[in-house]
Amino acid sequence: MDVRRQRLENGLRVAAIPIPGLLSAAVLLAIEAGQWFEPLGRPGIGRLCALTMLRGTTTRDAKTWADALDGIGAAARLDVGSHAATFSAQSLGSDLDVLLELMADAVMHPAFAASEVELVRQQTVAQIEEDARNTRAVAESAWRELVYPQGHPFRARPIGDVDVVRAASADDLREHHRRAIRPDGAVLVVAGGVDAQQVFDASAKAFSSWSAGGPREEWKVPEARLANAVRRLEVVPDKTQSDVVLGWPGLPRTDPRFVAARVTNMVFAADTFASRAGHVVRDELGLAYYVFSTIGGSLGQSPWVVRMGVNPINVERAVSTTLEELRKIVDGKIAEDDLELAQDKLVGELDVARESPAGVASLHLEGEVFNLGPDYAERYPRELRAVTLEQVVEIARTFLPPERYALAIAGPPLPERD
Amino acid sequence: MHALEARHAPVVSLWVWYHVGGRNEVPGTTGMSHFLEHMLFKGTPKHPKGDLDKLLARYGALWNAFTSEDVTCYFETVPAERYPVALDLEADRMRNALITVEETEAERNVIVSEREGLENDPSFLLGEQLQAVAFARHPYAQGVIGSKDEIKLMTRDGLYAHYRRHYAPNNAYFIVAGDASAEELLDRASAAFGPLDAEVPIEPPKAPEPPQYGEKRVIVRRAGGALPIIQIGHKAPRASDPRAPALSALAVALGGATAGGGEAASGRSSRLYRALVDTGLATTVDASFQLMKDPYLFVVEAHLGPGVTHDRVERVVLDELEKVARTTLTTDEFGRVRRQMLSASAFMTDTVTWRAFRFGQLLATGAAASLGEWYDRLAAVTAEDVRAAAESVFQEKGRVVGWFVPEPS
Repeated sequence: MDVRRQRLENGLRVAAIPIPGLLSAAVLLAIEAGQWFEPLGRPGIGRLCALTMLRGTTTRDAKTWADALDGIGAAARLDVGSHAATFSAQSLGSDLDVLLELMADAVMHPAFAASEVELVRQQTVAQIEEDARNTRAVAESAWRELVYPQGHPFRARPIGDVDVVRAASADDLREHHRRAIRPDGAVLVVAGGVDAQQVFDASAKAFSSWSAGGPREEWKVPEARLANAVRRLEVVPDKTQSDVVLGWPGLPRTDPRFVAARVTNMVFAADTFASRAGHVVRDELGLAYYVFSTIGGSLGQSPWVVRMGVNPINVERAVSTTLEELRKIVDGKIAEDDLELAQDKLVGELDVARESPAGVASLHLEGEVFNLGPDYAERYPRELRAVTLEQVVEIARTFLPPERYALAIAGPPLPERD
Repeated sequence: MHALEARHAPVVSLWVWYHVGGRNEVPGTTGMSHFLEHMLFKGTPKHPKGDLDKLLARYGALWNAFTSEDVTCYFETVPAERYPVALDLEADRMRNALITVEETEAERNVIVSEREGLENDPSFLLGEQLQAVAFARHPYAQGVIGSKDEIKLMTRDGLYAHYRRHYAPNNAYFIVAGDASAEELLDRASAAFGPLDAEVPIEPPKAPEPPQYGEKRVIVRRAGGALPIIQIGHKAPRASDPRAPALSALAVALGGATAGGGEAASGRSSRLYRALVDTGLATTVDASFQLMKDPYLFVVEAHLGPGVTHDRVERVVLDELEKVARTTLTTDEFGRVRRQMLSASAFMTDTVTWRAFRFGQLLATGAAASLGEWYDRLAAVTAEDVRAAAESVFQEKGRVVGWFVPEPS
């Protein structure tokens, strides 16, 4: 793929990947304003700020901005994750300049009008209350509280803490915006039916006046460490299925072992067919409708978790089976073919992702965000292939000790254990 | 069999659409088509369970299946050079699935688990009841996944008979899009599926829905959610009806082209977003018109804001539906709707998987004979067409209203 890069004077890095034959362009703008960059002890400020950025600017009220976006037929959303606040969008290639100008307006000049802050607050509080009855959300929250100490940015889900959301003022959001919504560290990736010069011209026009609001603050994040196995059951009324989160604190994306960890994740539980636990729990034993693991990429110890949807009577067996499969990895009792299958799957997915402009943009985003080098996309498949069985075992021993894990279960009461 | 060239990426996406789904089931066997879909992943004599699964996983394939009221669909998106392997899988399991007693028993737990996961979602619970109440005779009332009791009673022999009856080349569409000439894609598919025998043709189910003579209502009370939900359905025409493109535009006018929670930035100029979300009456709202073989429902769903009553939101929604049926959209507003609709169409066809899906959906439901025809029909919709479609559908006599009422824990 033909990747062209440019860096604006304000630090914003732009990558353009033209794909001949397409009508549309996918746009990803990742700003280092995820949970990792939230003020300690203020979970939810980042998302509240981001969503209010979508509700009017100093030159366009919320309705005018929404009319303009829908007027070009673009699809767009703004999500706050563990590392970045990511504006993802798609428009016809011919509308790219208008799309980038609208995104820039929201990012650079949000009005934070009091009425709009209240509306977003009301919606967020309602979502938090709804999530309190959602077994997946409850299990996720409980798991984070088991693993991350007070003050850790990943202790809460990105939606945050209800008290923080209730107390946040427009000035709090302005201050967070000034500090965190900044071009240095941000990356803009555009892929699809566009040419590189069009991308560079439109991004320079839209974003060159964006400036950082002073030096970035830094704080010491407490380490997450599991001393033994911990578990919590949250009973959620009127539910029939249990949602289970079993996991460990992960490792930073910038850690040189991260690629080996991603391969280990695939060997362990990432996929139903290519992973040991996924295959045994769902396909062989029929214990769960879904089971998969994910490893988060951020500057910190993002969650490395297995998620399962299980009937309450099968919870204990599904968990113990998953841990048995993990023990096999830790003990080195896995075949070369398990590793090759995982590597083939991860490398093959890279080819298949090229089927869409959004897939192509996503392929390149990680390398750009974490400064993994201009040859990252080309190098990455080789790095996946180079991971050895010994590295997989070592990673599992270091980061996924089967005797020290956090287990959160949300749903109906569980049957009595023998 | 139909093929589309898509040269921008070195992949091929193939889809097999079987004309069997919830509408082909009768009480006592609801969920059978969906159960069968799961069993098609359990191997054939030529490819024992796990054999091709692992092979496709090795290729990094995107592959899955789904069952709807109308169809059961299987797809693989693979690196182009692996197209023959995916073809072999689909042609083989079209006629040779094993469906053993042991695998049926193991998979039953997975399907019950899938059903229980859905039951955890208040929106699913309400939607299932709304569908059941909306249709007095048509099997659309039964939904897709089936009742838990019937899933537990499903037999291997019943599943196998359902399979042999419905899984045959003369009851399927094959769609492929990818990085090769259409001729080459079709030649390979012909070689794979050509040797398979046809089955006795199947008559489509004959249970037309009788006229409805007044609004129907349903209430679901459970402690499973914190926020009240409202769903309002109106009987709507099938995909092959001339009004289908205008109803697609109507759904965009009311709810936007892209759904999403608070994170979604697009679709906020739509009528219902303005009337409900911008005012704090609801946290989310969506409007949908689905392409279906038989007349189905145009559905509006809103999750109510804290302290807001169902009555109030229902009044606002019905007012908006009445307005859009009475007065044509303004030129600016219709311009936005048209751009969203046509852009969404381009976004879909710029992805190989979704290009093939969309083509298959249009063919299988009878909406259009090609992507180009459907696009042209969407592009030809006028503001007056949208108003007229709204007027024809938003009738009290075709309405069903559902409330999800959260109960205290």
